[in-house]
Amino acid sequence: MATGNLMASSEQELVLTRVFDAPRKLVFKAWTDPKCVAVWWGPHRFTNPVCELDARPGGAIRIHMRDPTGIVYPMTGIFQEVIEPERIVFTSAALDDKGNPMFEVLTTVTFSEQGGKTKQIMRARVIKMTPQAAPYIAGMEQGWTESLERLAAFVATQAKE
Amino acid sequence: MPDHLSTTLAALADPTRRAILARLSAGQATVTELAAPFSMSMPAVSRHLKVLEHAGLITRGREAQWRPCRITAAPLKDVADWVAHYRKFWMDSFDRLDDYLRDVQKKGKKHGHGKPHGK
Repeated sequence: MATGNLMASSEQELVLTRVFDAPRKLVFKAWTDPKCVAVWWGPHRFTNPVCELDARPGGAIRIHMRDPTGIVYPMTGIFQEVIEPERIVFTSAALDDKGNPMFEVLTTVTFSEQGGKTKQIMRARVIKMTPQAAPYIAGMEQGWTESLERLAAFVATQAKE
Repeated sequence: MPDHLSTTLAALADPTRRAILARLSAGQATVTELAAPFSMSMPAVSRHLKVLEHAGLITRGREAQWRPCRITAAPLKDVADWVAHYRKFWMDSFDRLDDYLRDVQKKGKKHGHGKPHGK
């Protein structure tokens, strides 16, 4: 990834918690075995014709997601931490039509056992983004203060005007 | 995802600029009016306005003296859409993961391995 072209940008996080009726070992496998990931990754009715994951620290992720109309959305990433069966950390970047990363997201997924079920907590935050605007925001070091959701609420009200 | 989204996100990634946008959401304002609440020089405020203008988040009037700033909603909507899409991406994926885990466990039971007291 051309991380040299990216810049640090944000502190906000998207947190999603989910409980699965399955043992932790199985949920962990569903995240780390490419054959399993290809089955569930992406919105409903999307497929993953390319799904490669090397689930170990430094290992690569390459997923090409295809929507029902045939448009392909490529994505790449790198595993930062893989601690079986409790924790996965990876960076990922959505690519633009020239193959350049648009922004980089750090995702942390933790799995804990809860009476035979598995509680999964996913935290995702934008850590870098490609700045066509880089020259304009050089020296920017302040993080975002609002969470993604609060920002979304703010912009949603603005967008109605 | 729209190409200019990173520009918009970058422009929004600053509390002063978000405060400026919040002020403009209440109506147009001049640079002097926008600078008032911040302990910041006019050139510094002007620089922020340039970033916002470049990202298409504001437009500035052509009247030489006034050049009032107005908020433009479209790029903000792109950001809201992206956040919604990203959230939906994961919600959908986890629905599918849930289905997958159910299927795998059902199959495990049928084949006599997996859970000990399968049918």
